[in-house]
Amino acid sequence: MRLAVDKVKKLCAERGVSLAALLREAEVSRNAYYTLSRKPSVLPRSIRALASGLGVKPSTFLEERDSPSEDARLLIGQIDRIERFHRIHDRDNVRHTLLLLREKPIDRLRRALTRGQRPDIH
Amino acid sequence: MGRDLIFTEKEAEFLRELVRQKVDFMIVGLSAAALQGAPVVTQDIDLWFKDLDQPGIRKALKKVGGSYIPSIALNPPMFEGDSVSLFDIVVHMHGVAEFDEEKKHSIKIPLGRIKVAVLALERIIRSKEATGRDKDKRVLPVLLDVLATVGKTGGKRVSPPSVVVKAEAAQRTRGPRARR
Repeated sequence: MRLAVDKVKKLCAERGVSLAALLREAEVSRNAYYTLSRKPSVLPRSIRALASGLGVKPSTFLEERDSPSEDARLLIGQIDRIERFHRIHDRDNVRHTLLLLREKPIDRLRRALTRGQRPDIH
Repeated sequence: MGRDLIFTEKEAEFLRELVRQKVDFMIVGLSAAALQGAPVVTQDIDLWFKDLDQPGIRKALKKVGGSYIPSIALNPPMFEGDSVSLFDIVVHMHGVAEFDEEKKHSIKIPLGRIKVAVLALERIIRSKEATGRDKDKRVLPVLLDVLATVGKTGGKRVSPPSVVVKAEAAQRTRGPRARR
């Protein structure tokens, strides 16, 4: 699996940030990024060896840590735990906060401003 | 597409310049709450300055092509220019202590490659309670729920400010908050 540089650039453009700004924010050096971009595979050798041993692509046995349903279950569990300790006004406030906490602060701010200044796009 | 986005490099540059110029300021209001995870809506970023005469403010404005409009009659001071149009100047915060005291309890939040001082959520709530405006009262239940959430999770990307942790500990002692 290679680093899809064009996809990274496209995502940067969509979010209005330069690649340089992204690297700064992610604390990834320019050298490290370009070294990764030149590698034929960014996966560890052991993963490639396993795939080779099985005669399959690594993506065959790699998966995201949480499936969407598992993620939702965990989220509901978190909300329940918070509600046990606090009389909350609205579970949705807690849910939205938990989801926002997964994002970077700058993205949380962008959301708040976007909803405030461009309600037409929501 | 980038031009349609809000809070891009030009706004970040102004904050970076303020930090670079060692201007004593912090982000307050709902922008500060949003940075701490509050699902709120806001139209601008309120900046509370210790002193509007800090030379670094003018230098930062000059760097990004903005200018400072001093208070005239009943009009509050403001910034002018594309790069600073999102920012509002706050000269006084209701319901909280003086700038220096609040700054001690502020939290530092990363915005790109800089960290900016942000008024702690508990203090934002205190301020909203003090102003008593309808729009502030409406947002209070949301902010209180956020305070409960941030206190419980610790925040995945933002460490809980110490005042929040203390507030939560005190709340546990007092028992659950009454539902409004």
